[in-house]
Amino acid sequence: MFYNIKSYALFVYLLLIAALINGCGPDQKDKKLPAKYSIYVLAKDGKNYLLQYNTLDSGVLKPTTDGIALDTLKMGRSLIVSNHCYYYLNSKTALFSKYKVVGATLKVISALPVKDFTIENFTWLKGDTLLLTGLNLPGYNRAEYMLVNTALMKVIKRGFLNIPGPTGHFETMSLGFTEKRGNSLLIGHTYHASQDIYNFGTSDTLYVSELRYPEMELVSISKDTRSTYPGGQNTVQSYSSRDENGNYYFISCPGIALGNRPELPSAIFSIKKGAVAPDKNYFFNLSASKIQNHVYGMWSLTANKVIVRTERKDLFKGLNDHYKTAHFEYYVLDLKTKAIQKLDLPLDRGTRKQCVIVQGNVAYIAISSAKDGNYIWKYTIADGVLKRGLRLTDDTDFILRIDTLGK
Amino acid sequence: MSVNKELLERYHLDACSVEECREIEEWLFNNEGNELKLAAGADKKALKSDIWKNIQSDLPEEPQVTKARSNSYYMWKGAIAASIFFFLSGTIVYSLHPSKIAIVNLNNNSAAQVRQVSSGGYNVAVGPNTTASIDDEMHVIDLNGSLLISTEKDVELVFEGTGKKVNFKKGQTYIILKNREGAKDIIMVNKENLLDLPPIMQRQINTHFDI
Repeated sequence: MFYNIKSYALFVYLLLIAALINGCGPDQKDKKLPAKYSIYVLAKDGKNYLLQYNTLDSGVLKPTTDGIALDTLKMGRSLIVSNHCYYYLNSKTALFSKYKVVGATLKVISALPVKDFTIENFTWLKGDTLLLTGLNLPGYNRAEYMLVNTALMKVIKRGFLNIPGPTGHFETMSLGFTEKRGNSLLIGHTYHASQDIYNFGTSDTLYVSELRYPEMELVSISKDTRSTYPGGQNTVQSYSSRDENGNYYFISCPGIALGNRPELPSAIFSIKKGAVAPDKNYFFNLSASKIQNHVYGMWSLTANKVIVRTERKDLFKGLNDHYKTAHFEYYVLDLKTKAIQKLDLPLDRGTRKQCVIVQGNVAYIAISSAKDGNYIWKYTIADGVLKRGLRLTDDTDFILRIDTLGK
Repeated sequence: MSVNKELLERYHLDACSVEECREIEEWLFNNEGNELKLAAGADKKALKSDIWKNIQSDLPEEPQVTKARSNSYYMWKGAIAASIFFFLSGTIVYSLHPSKIAIVNLNNNSAAQVRQVSSGGYNVAVGPNTTASIDDEMHVIDLNGSLLISTEKDVELVFEGTGKKVNFKKGQTYIILKNREGAKDIIMVNKENLLDLPPIMQRQINTHFDI
């Protein structure tokens, strides 16, 4: 078989290399365990990969070999992940599809035709009932909703939300959060004006509309000028939290990467339990705090604490490098005492990411560092200890999402 | 006595008498000898072909016959090779230093429609109201407007008058926006990072390029 000693040596060497490469992936024992987590990666080869794994505490995954390469013409990262299924609305094909990973492929379980609609927020109501609030396409100037039974993949109801559309020089609008309280639906929103593709602005006011559910009739609108751009698309990132008493908190994002009213502060607002408008006496101004920067993203940590993701204006130049420069920091905030604690993590990359999972006493934070590689960091809430967990190999550019696969 | 199959077999086995051997050899070397007597029903042609096949399989391959070449042959061969060499060299030099500058024009006067251009290894959707060009020789891009661009090879270009470099990886798609002078106002993102741009900007890009 081997013509000389050299070819034999080369063969043995290649075998060793192959064994080493295989050793970097999850071992067979781990692969057989049922997956609990989903990881969505943009790799350096420009492709999106979906990975599933049974732990975020340790191990190494290589997206290009352990992941499923996604066809982004069909599915992207603005996802709803629940009970081992992925839901995605493709505006181009006008299909709202339900996917599941079967073996080494992503399979379409079923799909619903949904024309001229774009999702701004999703909210799970009872069981498999999903409320999608969004805007008309291509106008982005009329608020609409869709109630979907995700088990049957049937539209229960689709209609308009009785929220005023843009007027005057405002041409489009955004819905930033949707919170259902008994027979009311509270929807945060604001309006936009665009001179051209490069120049756009947001109203200096944020609005909270109270609608009667399920009629979707407008009951009241509150205006707040302390900041603007309430919340954001929660299919891409989280912007809200609830405390132990049922009070709702949302973040305003007027920084250049969302509202583009950087002169206004990023702040946390509260809607008390039973109330239908932001509490005039509660305003957690993060830009004026020691954070001194704009904030994008907020996740519930404990009953009264949240994690926020903040930019560093001294480290990026503009929109061109905002997403690729490592400049994002994480802070733990106490919503009651307004105490602020910076987490000792490497600077993160990527403007919008669904990168925090909280499970019991542990928070997992996905960091795509420029110097320290791509890790899921494990933050123990009780003692504040931060440790590196699962590593994504260096073919990873950004960890764009981490999700739990259970309900 | 006549030569037959049985006799020939015995001859090869050295079992013939002196008389028989002499007769067989006489038959073998005499072109006008008696015909070989075949068994009844045997086809002479088929038998010949069978024998030839058996012999052919044992023969060495026919050696390549090298014809003797004349001096003029070698002279012409050298001349043709030299001509091909000079022609190819000229083509390569020409392609590296074309007399005309390779400029891909990317202008779109339409206020609403995107213009599709595939030229010089660039596949481009030119946004409305855009004036742009790529000088492929000088590796310079000039842009006022918006482009959705993918290249057939890895390319590095410099924005005209700014010194700002952009790198395109083969097969990946990029969105470039620029409408004022100066490098600060250039936005270039990989299409896969589109969700990192402000949603209001994304909506316009999606509408512009029908993404």
